[in-house]
Amino acid sequence: MPPLLLLLLLPTTGALLVALLPSRLAHRVATGAALATMLWSGWVASLFSDRIAHLQLLEKIVWRPRLGSHFALGVDGLSLPMLLLATLLTLVAVLASGHVRTRVKGYFIPLLLLEAAMLGVFAAQDWSLFYIFWELTLLPLFFLINNYGGAQRNRAALNFLLYTMGGSVFLLLALLLAYDALPEHTFLMTAMAEGLRDLPREKQILIFLGFFIGFGVKMPVFPLHGWLPLAHVEAPAPVSILLSGVLLKMGSYGLLRTAILLPDAVSALQGGLAALAMINLLHGGVLAWRQIDLKGMIAYSSVSHMGVVLLGIATLESTGLTGAVLQMVSHGLTAGALFLVIGLLYERTHTRDIREYGSLTVPAPQFAFFTVVAFVASVGVPGTSGFIAELHVLIGSLQRWGAWSALLSVGMLVSAAYAVRTIGVLCTGPACQLRIDPPRRPEWIAAAMLTLTILLVGVVPAPLIGKISATIDQVSDLFAHRL
Amino acid sequence: MTDAWRLLIPLLPWLGGAWIGLGMLTGSRCGEAGERGTARIALLCTGLAVLGMTVLDLLAATKGILPPASRITWLESGHFRVTLGLLTDLPALVMGTLAAGCGLLTMRFAVDYLHREAGFHRFFLVLSLFVGGMMWVALADNVVLTFIGWEAAGISSYLLIGYAYDRRTATCNATRAVLTNRFGDAGFLLGIAMTFLFLDTLEWRNVFTGVAKLDSLLAGMMAAGFLVAALAKSAQLPFAGWIARALEGPTPSSAIFYGALMAHAGAFLVIRLEPLLWRAPFWLAFLMPVGLLTAVYAAAAGRAQGDVKSALIFSTQAQLGLIFFECGAGLFEVALWHLTGHTIWRLYQFLLSPSYLHLSVQPLRPVPGWLANSRTLYRLALHRFHLDALLDALITHPTRALAQEVRLLDTRVFSRVAGRPLNESPLPARVQEKDHAVAPGNDVTRGRGMLGHILQDSARSLAWIEEHLILKSSGEGLLGALTFLGGYVSRIEEFLGLPRYLFLLLALTFVVIL
Repeated sequence: MPPLLLLLLLPTTGALLVALLPSRLAHRVATGAALATMLWSGWVASLFSDRIAHLQLLEKIVWRPRLGSHFALGVDGLSLPMLLLATLLTLVAVLASGHVRTRVKGYFIPLLLLEAAMLGVFAAQDWSLFYIFWELTLLPLFFLINNYGGAQRNRAALNFLLYTMGGSVFLLLALLLAYDALPEHTFLMTAMAEGLRDLPREKQILIFLGFFIGFGVKMPVFPLHGWLPLAHVEAPAPVSILLSGVLLKMGSYGLLRTAILLPDAVSALQGGLAALAMINLLHGGVLAWRQIDLKGMIAYSSVSHMGVVLLGIATLESTGLTGAVLQMVSHGLTAGALFLVIGLLYERTHTRDIREYGSLTVPAPQFAFFTVVAFVASVGVPGTSGFIAELHVLIGSLQRWGAWSALLSVGMLVSAAYAVRTIGVLCTGPACQLRIDPPRRPEWIAAAMLTLTILLVGVVPAPLIGKISATIDQVSDLFAHRL
Repeated sequence: MTDAWRLLIPLLPWLGGAWIGLGMLTGSRCGEAGERGTARIALLCTGLAVLGMTVLDLLAATKGILPPASRITWLESGHFRVTLGLLTDLPALVMGTLAAGCGLLTMRFAVDYLHREAGFHRFFLVLSLFVGGMMWVALADNVVLTFIGWEAAGISSYLLIGYAYDRRTATCNATRAVLTNRFGDAGFLLGIAMTFLFLDTLEWRNVFTGVAKLDSLLAGMMAAGFLVAALAKSAQLPFAGWIARALEGPTPSSAIFYGALMAHAGAFLVIRLEPLLWRAPFWLAFLMPVGLLTAVYAAAAGRAQGDVKSALIFSTQAQLGLIFFECGAGLFEVALWHLTGHTIWRLYQFLLSPSYLHLSVQPLRPVPGWLANSRTLYRLALHRFHLDALLDALITHPTRALAQEVRLLDTRVFSRVAGRPLNESPLPARVQEKDHAVAPGNDVTRGRGMLGHILQDSARSLAWIEEHLILKSSGEGLLGALTFLGGYVSRIEEFLGLPRYLFLLLALTFVVIL
């Protein structure tokens, strides 16, 4: 059995088992499936060789010879960290879903299918397959938000679906344009990339804009982020973990792939991308500072942090790109941890209004600890994953734009302002009158896993950087003579 | 690397301390039940260190002074290179053996003395740290490593003076002692910096050979830095005040710190610096009056004391003054002998001091006549010649005044610009609970200070943009437009359902086709 195919099949089988077995076993089966997938992704990572920049573990079956589409799966330095992140966060989401008691099957089946689709997006090496998996993620998410979300769940789900579908239309159009522009008709990522490189710059830019709108909605990039606050706030906490932890990364991952596809267009639009990134960074950060709803705050902070990713991509050189990938991982971990803790708190207190919390250290010391670690990591305090990522992006943007990177520091300052403010309100001040039970064991394990990973990446980043550096070097070579 | 084992000898007490500390962290070492284990670890590690030192001594005795042990580079930046290595010349061996031996004896004494004390484990942890530090002071082959040991000893002294940290005098005295010692540390650091600057090396051996070519003015500057450190550590005259305050710690710690080892570290440093001091004759001569004055001061102050420990500490100080005097006179070998003998004797006396009341049959000797008859002298001796008050007037009070002015500037200017923290009161949460039962309203998103106001204003305008342009017009707008269009389409559908409109449409189509 090829390893990547099995990686996709494991959660699918899990979903099937959940459907067939009685509902009281659903949580356990789902946990088992998510755990098995995570362990298998670890095995895939051990098969991965750090030295090779090209695709590895490639599995390719011709699908529709006339269209030139393939069922092609493979990993390189860009997709491997995303695969690991997705499997880890799915396990965390499943562990944190203990509170789902009604319609259990309808919850865990979409959750596991969502995992399979996300893994498919990251492993697909054929654009048509990528697009199929991309669209496949929408349906489970729609049902999860629509059926298990908060008070305005229906509006949020519909809004989310329309927005992303709208983006997908542009994505599809751009894909077809690119397909059409090629002399040989193929959807394979590597073959398309080689063919498209010789296109005239204007055409490349046109195609890139289509891709950019499609991925920009997901990521999200500044004017296209309207769906995000509503969806993140209304989704059930475990789904928010996946939404901000993995789904947003699909956007930036797609953008990275597009950059490889259309290097001329990206280098032509570099300044614009960087400007958008800065707007994202500051806009999201300032609005996060203004939120009183804790989940809303994390949602806007995601906008801000994805701005850092976009900035890293826009540098188009190896340190910045490494920083972008690291920030994708780091934001996945920290946003996941934050949504997890806030979700668990909400489940216990039924309020997300920050003003009603205070001195969590007294009634819920464990929650206070996990919250503080997650917040300081999202600010990028040394010793946490956020520091490594932001440092790389900062160095990359300094090399590219010099003094303009001061704006990045302003963004970091704003994020420090709201993070420290929130820590201050949550953990000090007058004690709140809320009764907060300690986390249950699976929840504790989930939070501890995330915290440990955050610290591990922060203290020993070398293995992770080693996994991505070969591919990143190859990508940055693409741009070296274009700028 | 065959002699790399030697490096382990001064590290052993620290390893023991780390072991104890780890146990305390994980909670497996606490209370009376853990006492045996803790004591065993500390004794084992220090005992092994004593054994190792004995082996080194025997090797040195049979084969002559050993060649330097192999070194491991620890820190490197340009020419600046710090190695882990041992210097095993005569003073080093003597002092190292003394440190390990005295440490072992004191630990064995403390096992019974501190039985069922609250800080039993803490005491052994700190004592291990101290013994290791002293061994590094003695054996380190470069200046930086010596300084590390020096500081480890200083910190553990601070921790043990403040052993009973719930008593106000203990913590005050601990702070006082450690601050006085910081003067010395500053001197030591200056000395290190000048060593590196003038000689481009940090290793003692190269320092000793290097100073021969050094200008005597530069040598004097170097020597001055180190001498400040030595005088502070050994409580010589300008710094003499702290040592009497340092007796707050438990008796075994007083014994080893001030009776025996730590107070002698200063004298040891002077002996270690012998080649440097020969190049700086002024500072060498300077040691004589300082030592002599300290001896007189301590002798007089000691005569006026009524309790055993204080009397002993002043007598220690007087002896230290004499050792410094000997060094000043150039009799370094005599000073080393004096140091060794005095250390051992004083340790014995200090450890015996708790039982003096039982042992001594004769009453306390009265204050000698020459002191008792002069009222002024007696008063001065009792007040320790107002040394502490002098230091207060010269240093503490001006510092405090400056701090107050800076604080004023801070509250009047900087706090206003930078904004005040959210929870101003430093009281713990529980205390505040009653006063602010309700959390202060919209305070959370109110900016404080200049930057805060900028943030607040920009947040307000961005929120307006977000609300009106992005959420309403695009998110909601998309839905709205769809609903709107859907209404039209369904109305058209409705019309189309009516036969006459269908007929009309068909007719229209035909018209177009024709």
